[in-house]
Amino acid sequence: GLAACDDGEIVIKFSHVTNTDKHPKGIAASLLEQRVNDEMNGTACMEVFPSSTLYNDDKVLEAMLQGDVQLAAPSLSKFEKFTKQFRIFDLPFMFTNIEAVDAFQGSATGQAMKDSMQRRGLQGLAFWHNGMKQMSANRPLVQPTDANGLKFRVQSSDVLVAQMEAIGGSPQKMAFSEVYGALQQGVVDGQENTWSNIFGRKFFEVQDGTTETNHGIIDYLVVASVDWLDSLDADVRDQFLTILDEVTEARNKESFAVNQAARQSIIDAGGTVRELTAEQRQAWVDAMKPVWAQFAGDVGQENIDAAQAINAGL
Amino acid sequence: MSQGASKTSGGFIDTLEETLIAALLGAMTVVTFANVIARFVFNSNILWALELTVFLFGWLVLLGASYAVKKGAHLGVDALVNILSPAARRIVGLIAAAACLLFCLLLLKGCYDYWAVFADLPPTTGRWFPTGFEEKFRSQSFYEVDDIPMIAPFRWLEGAINYNEAYEKIPKAIPYFVLPLSASLLMLRFVQVTLRIWQGTEDRLVASHELDEDEISEAAERADKLEG
Amino acid sequence: MDVILLFSMVIGLLMIGVPIAVSLGLSSTLFLLWFSDTSLASVAGTLFEAFEGHFTLLAIPFFILASSFMTTGGVARRIIRFSIACVGHLPGGLAIAGVFACMLFAALSGSSPATVVAIGSIVIAGMRQVGYTKEFAAGVICNAGTLGILIPPSIVMVVYAAAVEVSVGRMFLAGVIPGLMAGLMLMVTIYVMAKVKNLPQGEWQGWGEVFTAAREAGWGLFLIVIILGGIYGGVFTPTEAAAVAAIYSFVIACFVYRDMGPLATTGPEANTSLFRKPWALVTAMIHPDTKQTLFDAGKLTVTLLFVIANALILKHVLTDEQVPQTIAGAMLDAGFGPVMFLVIVNIILLIGGQFMEPSGLLVIVAPLVFPIAIELGIDPIHLGIIMVVNMEIGMITPPVGLNLFVTSGVAKMPMMAVVRAALPFLAVLFVFLIMVTYIPAISTFLPNAVMGPELIIK
Ligand code: NA
Ligand code: NA
Repeated sequence: GLAACDDGEIVIKFSHVTNTDKHPKGIAASLLEQRVNDEMNGTACMEVFPSSTLYNDDKVLEAMLQGDVQLAAPSLSKFEKFTKQFRIFDLPFMFTNIEAVDAFQGSATGQAMKDSMQRRGLQGLAFWHNGMKQMSANRPLVQPTDANGLKFRVQSSDVLVAQMEAIGGSPQKMAFSEVYGALQQGVVDGQENTWSNIFGRKFFEVQDGTTETNHGIIDYLVVASVDWLDSLDADVRDQFLTILDEVTEARNKESFAVNQAARQSIIDAGGTVRELTAEQRQAWVDAMKPVWAQFAGDVGQENIDAAQAINAGL
Repeated sequence: MSQGASKTSGGFIDTLEETLIAALLGAMTVVTFANVIARFVFNSNILWALELTVFLFGWLVLLGASYAVKKGAHLGVDALVNILSPAARRIVGLIAAAACLLFCLLLLKGCYDYWAVFADLPPTTGRWFPTGFEEKFRSQSFYEVDDIPMIAPFRWLEGAINYNEAYEKIPKAIPYFVLPLSASLLMLRFVQVTLRIWQGTEDRLVASHELDEDEISEAAERADKLEG
Repeated sequence: MDVILLFSMVIGLLMIGVPIAVSLGLSSTLFLLWFSDTSLASVAGTLFEAFEGHFTLLAIPFFILASSFMTTGGVARRIIRFSIACVGHLPGGLAIAGVFACMLFAALSGSSPATVVAIGSIVIAGMRQVGYTKEFAAGVICNAGTLGILIPPSIVMVVYAAAVEVSVGRMFLAGVIPGLMAGLMLMVTIYVMAKVKNLPQGEWQGWGEVFTAAREAGWGLFLIVIILGGIYGGVFTPTEAAAVAAIYSFVIACFVYRDMGPLATTGPEANTSLFRKPWALVTAMIHPDTKQTLFDAGKLTVTLLFVIANALILKHVLTDEQVPQTIAGAMLDAGFGPVMFLVIVNIILLIGGQFMEPSGLLVIVAPLVFPIAIELGIDPIHLGIIMVVNMEIGMITPPVGLNLFVTSGVAKMPMMAVVRAALPFLAVLFVFLIMVTYIPAISTFLPNAVMGPELIIK
């Protein structure tokens, strides 16, 4: 190849879909790349392909199972195809805040989920945070009834479709690159995302405001194929996984700050952020929570219980 | 000697392929339009519309590619070919045809290998050419598409390839089936055109521009008629 | 360097008459097998990904279909009548009307050769009748036809938007002012030539004729309102706009103009009224004319998209080998500024345009130059318009030019005669290219005014 890797080094291609220096995932990937290339020089070499230049989140897992890419970090909903347990992360108000998400992912249940796709050839390595999801629309969203009749862009996920239907919204499927224009022109009325995505994609510019619902999460799972991991020498694998763990810990700690900074930047740029009172938020919970029952079978009641125990303990 | 000359439709297979091309494009248009109406008029949605349209699009182009080989409609550069003597043209044509056949051979292996794991079938071994079948492989028959719901006519696949696990959405094996299918057809059509070049009934594989010669000569006739 | 081998292989295969799609696909596949660990299966995956991962490209078949219905539906004839009514009385009137008609048809069609075929056949004949030389007529239409890809909708713009992930709506808006400018420059040139050479001039037929012709052509021209109005009015995405355009064109062709479908008649008598044959509403959908139009559009879609899909395999190889980054680094290290860079882009595209179908060329060149352009602070939309104008010029420069071929076919003239005829107007487009390249506002003013400043994410 033409890239910076030397002959004999193990090439680790890491394909992701964000920029390299502003998005929480992109920053973490760049840090990982730097550390692997410094500390494992001569043994391994990492090439990061950002901004979907090599694969998008849908294709990257197929490519990984074929051995064409070694590392990826798609959003958690992409793993619902491998095991429906991952739907727990899409269920609205499953986690109180990002600390609860963090604790759940670090718990025995979270660890088991990383291993749950082994039979299908994937090994989860580390959860990377983006942050809690907020709702925005082209009119004020205070009560869940405000969403009635609005068209919301959602990702391909049965849970998110059900969630939007629960508040009387009309879920719409649309390529991510079309979302800004569609919000601006009113093809769709609203969307849900993390602060960093709403700021990074400038969605706030074309919305009436963003309501701080913290109703869901967008996180990522760093994965590799079982076959590739098995092909590595034990000491190489250990060194790599240690670096990954350290990067994960360092960046996950920062993710909350990254999102809060994005939230502040939206306000500084003249965007509206609406905070909810306790009762208002409870109304959103009451409206959306019935969705849980629909997917309890997929997710496993014991996993839901584990998540709720963590919420209660915080 | 054919120079992309008028190749109007002939037999049953032609009609079949032409109808399929028309039907796929028609279906894409109607599905997309229906989704606009659903959203704009009824404030509703057809969540699978976009994905279905994309798959129809892939099928249209990949299946249509073999039809275009048959009709010599693929775009190419024939400026150099045109200035060669007929004998030289035949030799160059055969070399070009050999390149196409090589591509098809590689593509056929790639397409089969890609699709096979989604259909719970063993991919082939070998890097360049198939040397046998993998004895151990990771089946990806569990892999579903994003949005198109499973429908009854495909339920038999759950037993056939998915170890009796139910599908919520149609398995990817279905849309991806077009890959081995179209690669096989492409191979067949390139073999046929190679034979025609060999026999001297055809002298090239390409059309130099995107418009049908028929359309242009029709336009020229129209112009003649108008001039009176 | 490995990459030089790759590109040499592509060009070598093209030269011996291998289809563009196969040249791109085979070269990329061989390169992967030789120089990387990538499997053949991944090539197949990339081929399918061309469709699965590029929703934007869906607009192409729909715009082609809309244009096909519009052409068979006799819109071209009505547009020309309207154009002559408006400007036919000026010095060089019929030639100016030809340019005007090309501009109007360009607003319905996404392709340049299609514009030449639709407008050229009628206008060239008309110009001959009133005393223009065939050469002059062919030169005018050959050039004005290139506006097909600059005035929205445009297939080439859709491809650019898909390749570098910018908004199609923004690209379309960006083409409006340059399209009008280029058309105007051609018309002014003709006007001046007409004054100097004393070219024929028609008679003013009165406002009545303008209004009658406008009403007739209006049904077709309303399409542009649907496309732009729909996108910027919040009804649909650009892709959906294309599908709506196709359905609208079908309705107009079958039920309003009735030049095709169950209500069409072959003789000189008026076409059948829908009231006398209401079941046509249903039979139109399965009428042989409808099927034939769908098939023609489908076939063109196949040939264009098969090139694009294989070009995406090459793009994947280049990305995998980090070629754009390497080239970008080298160019930045060499201290190239925006001016020098844009000159190089112009040259690459003008040379590449000799061998490649425009959209296939764009798929390959756009990802190569895009990262550098962003580094140098060039607006992606501006870069897109520069590329489109380069493609236009490539279509009318020898040895290979799409519009040259088509014009020589339509006018039954040898290629070299068309080349000579096109030359004076080619000079106009060259001046226009320089203006578009170095005055970004021509491209970016309208999209920025309507949609706000461009958001650069990469
Ligand atoms: Na156009
Ligand atoms: Na040219």
